[in-house]
Amino acid sequence: MLEVQDVVTAYGKIEALKGVTLRVGEGQITCLLGPNGAGKTTLMLTITGILKPRRGSVRFHDKDITGQAPGGIVRAGIALVPENRLVFPEMTVAENLRAGAYSRTGSAASEIANDMEAMYNRFPRLRERSTQMAGTLSGGEQQMLSVARALMARPKLLLMDEPSLGLAPMIVEEIFQIVRDLHKDGTSIFLVEQNAHMALQVAHHFYLLEQGRVTFDGTPGEMAEDEVIQRAYLGTRQTA
Amino acid sequence: MEFIDIVLSISDGVLFGTTYALIGIGFTMIFGVMHKINLAYAATSIGGAYVSWAISTLVPLPAILVFLISAIAAGVIGWLVYLCCFRLVPLDTPLTTLLATVGMLIFIDEVVVHETDGMPQPYPAIFDDVFFEFGEFGLRGDLLFIFVLSFAAMLVLLYLLYRTRLGIATRAVAQQPMAAQLCGISIERTNASTFVITGMLGGLAGAMIGASVGVLSPLLTLPVTVKGLIVTVIGGLGSIPGAIIAGLMVGAFENLFLALRGVTERDMYVMLLLFLFLTFRPGGLFHRSALRD
Ligand SMILES: Nc1ncnc2c1ncn2[C@@H]1O[C@H](COP(=O)(O)OP(=O)(O)O)[C@@H](O)[C@H]1O
Ligand SMILES: [Mg+2]
Repeated sequence: MLEVQDVVTAYGKIEALKGVTLRVGEGQITCLLGPNGAGKTTLMLTITGILKPRRGSVRFHDKDITGQAPGGIVRAGIALVPENRLVFPEMTVAENLRAGAYSRTGSAASEIANDMEAMYNRFPRLRERSTQMAGTLSGGEQQMLSVARALMARPKLLLMDEPSLGLAPMIVEEIFQIVRDLHKDGTSIFLVEQNAHMALQVAHHFYLLEQGRVTFDGTPGEMAEDEVIQRAYLGTRQTA
Repeated sequence: MEFIDIVLSISDGVLFGTTYALIGIGFTMIFGVMHKINLAYAATSIGGAYVSWAISTLVPLPAILVFLISAIAAGVIGWLVYLCCFRLVPLDTPLTTLLATVGMLIFIDEVVVHETDGMPQPYPAIFDDVFFEFGEFGLRGDLLFIFVLSFAAMLVLLYLLYRTRLGIATRAVAQQPMAAQLCGISIERTNASTFVITGMLGGLAGAMIGASVGVLSPLLTLPVTVKGLIVTVIGGLGSIPGAIIAGLMVGAFENLFLALRGVTERDMYVMLLLFLFLTFRPGGLFHRSALRD
């Protein structure tokens, strides 16, 4: 459903993506692994239109969306849960959700209210805190809010940039349960994750990004067999 | 000087201070949304008042309509300032936009001087013949009207910011621009609408300042710029409640020292107030940013 073709994205003279090609299948959970600074966030921001690629193309449902404004891309059906959550700190939880539905100009107010209700059912903690400022929530709650805000756009493809970063193991477990639930409900997911063990439990396909290039592309089975990945991400072979 | 005179000068100052509050809100909102100072803002306000004056010389209009035209005209000028100084000019070097707005301030001033030959022009007041007496105490009708109109404008602004889609977009861009974009909010359109909204507030303030002085003069832009910046700093950059309270404070303070020390010394004390704040409370009354109250 999403095809990234030979994308080059640069900050000034430094190319963070040096020709990335990958695809995300409909109804799948696709996982992007890679060390810090590999360009994972840059790829997410390029897909969502925040950054303009210098070269290459991004296609979604066979439509070219390269270089479109972020608003057009979210309306096309791609939403991003950004790295570090980025909730609106001095807006209430409810207002954050409403901001998430900003792009849905065609939806009636009642429809958006229904979706907010659905979010509160999925994330009961958010209902309790609905009138609280988002900045006062715990890290885990902010992550839930960030996911809920992205879902308010009713995306067909949900991008998640390191949703488990800096969260306690129990919360991480919860986040991955949400990923499973969303997938079961029919949302395709493109997940950036450093926690390969957790990712192995949910993902259908893996990519490894290193220094702006895709260096591995395969199924969970192939990944678990790959020596380089084993050493770097699964820690199964100890070297002194 | 009697005690009642002090009370009167303070209450008059508070009433008139609402215009400073409006100007302060304009500076502070633009800073909150764009993290930029727009030094052409007071010129936008006075420019709007001049347009309304020009129209009123062609067609006789009731004063309240003149005020309204001033607000609309300043909204348009605000948008033009945005285009020239923040849209066509690259945003990434802070000094570029700052200098562009200084240029715009002088440009608007020069246009006014050129069109009026530098002569002050009469501007209509409202309720300047009304006076409410309560024993020794009293309130000037024209200042009371300014106070009520300013507060009405502030209420409309707060409604806009906290109860509408545009308000959600504006606060979202101020608090977390990247996430705002991801929600489909256009930063450029939000910036532009902020300039139009603050322009309208400024136009209203400019008209009321003109009305209370009785004339419009190009000499007004500098003091209004300075007072607006002082209000913004005292209130805390980015804080709307801060700008409101600071506006009333500066209005009261300057009028008190006008009564105590005379017109030539008044502004020295306002500057002293600024230095006191910069020294002891550099973050202002409300040390927060970005429309976050
Ligand atoms: N705003 C920026 N300006 C300049 N360089 C950047 C910026 N953001 C990221 N980079 C650089 O681009 C590379 C990729 O960064 P990023 O996409 O954040 O990696 P990841 O998400 O995989 O950790 C890094 O070398 C980083 O230093
Ligand atoms: Mg990253």
